[in-house]
Amino acid sequence: MPKILIPTPLRQFAGGSDAVEAAGATIGECLEALTAQHPDLRRNLYNDEGKLRSFVNIYLNDEDIRYLSKTGTAVKDSDTISIVPSIAGGR
Amino acid sequence: MIRIDKPAWDIMVEHARACYPRECCGAMLGKEADGVRTVHAARPMRNAFEGAQEDTYVLDPQEQLAVEKEARAQGLSVVGIFHSHPDCDAYFSKRDLENSCPWYSFVVLSVKNGEFDHANSFLPNFDQTEAPKEPLEY
Ligand SMILES: [Zn+2]
Repeated sequence: MPKILIPTPLRQFAGGSDAVEAAGATIGECLEALTAQHPDLRRNLYNDEGKLRSFVNIYLNDEDIRYLSKTGTAVKDSDTISIVPSIAGGR
Repeated sequence: MIRIDKPAWDIMVEHARACYPRECCGAMLGKEADGVRTVHAARPMRNAFEGAQEDTYVLDPQEQLAVEKEARAQGLSVVGIFHSHPDCDAYFSKRDLENSCPWYSFVVLSVKNGEFDHANSFLPNFDQTEAPKEPLEY
C-alpha cells in the first residue's frame, strides 16, 4: 500500500503514527482512506467545502501533485505521499 | 513555549545577519513534550521568493521535503519555522499570518543595521485569524 508520511504536529491526530499505509488507486483515495482511519485529521487537511486547505500541498514522492493530476494522480504500492505546508510571509 | 539550544540559536542569528538586508528563512528541528518545544538544530533554508527579498520570504517546498527527511533521520521533528525582519521589529505581520500554517511555532528575528536586535515566537491559531506570542527562551 502507498505510505503517507505524517508531519509531527499532525501525529497526535493519527494515533501518534509518523507514517500511515493507506489503500487507494489515486492520491484522493489514499487521503480518503487516511482520514477514514483517523477522522481527526480531516479538519486539519480539508476545509468546510471538502477541499484541501489552502496551505496544504501534497507530494507524490518528490513531485507536487498540482503539477501531476492533482488528487486524481495515480499511485503505486511503492509510492510515498508527503504533506507539506506552503509557508511564506512578508511585511 | 519554545526553547532554543544555543548552537541552534547561533545558526539562526548568523543566517539572519548573513542575509541582511534581505529576509532569511529556515526550519527549527527538535522535540515537543508537555507543550514545550525544544529546538536542537536549526537549518537555514533558501528564500525562494523571486523578487525583492527585503520584505518577503517564501520557503522552497522541495527543500522542505529534504529537511523533513533530515529531521526524521536524526530522530527529530520540524517544530517551527524562522524568518528575519531586516530593519523592522519582530512582529507577525498580516502576510506572515495569512501565509503561515497552524502546525508550527514561527520565530521572527529583528535585525537592525545588520545586527540581531530581538526576537519573538508566534503560534498561529487553527483558522490563521490570529497568532498569539508564545514564551521564547534562547
Ligand atoms: Zn515576517
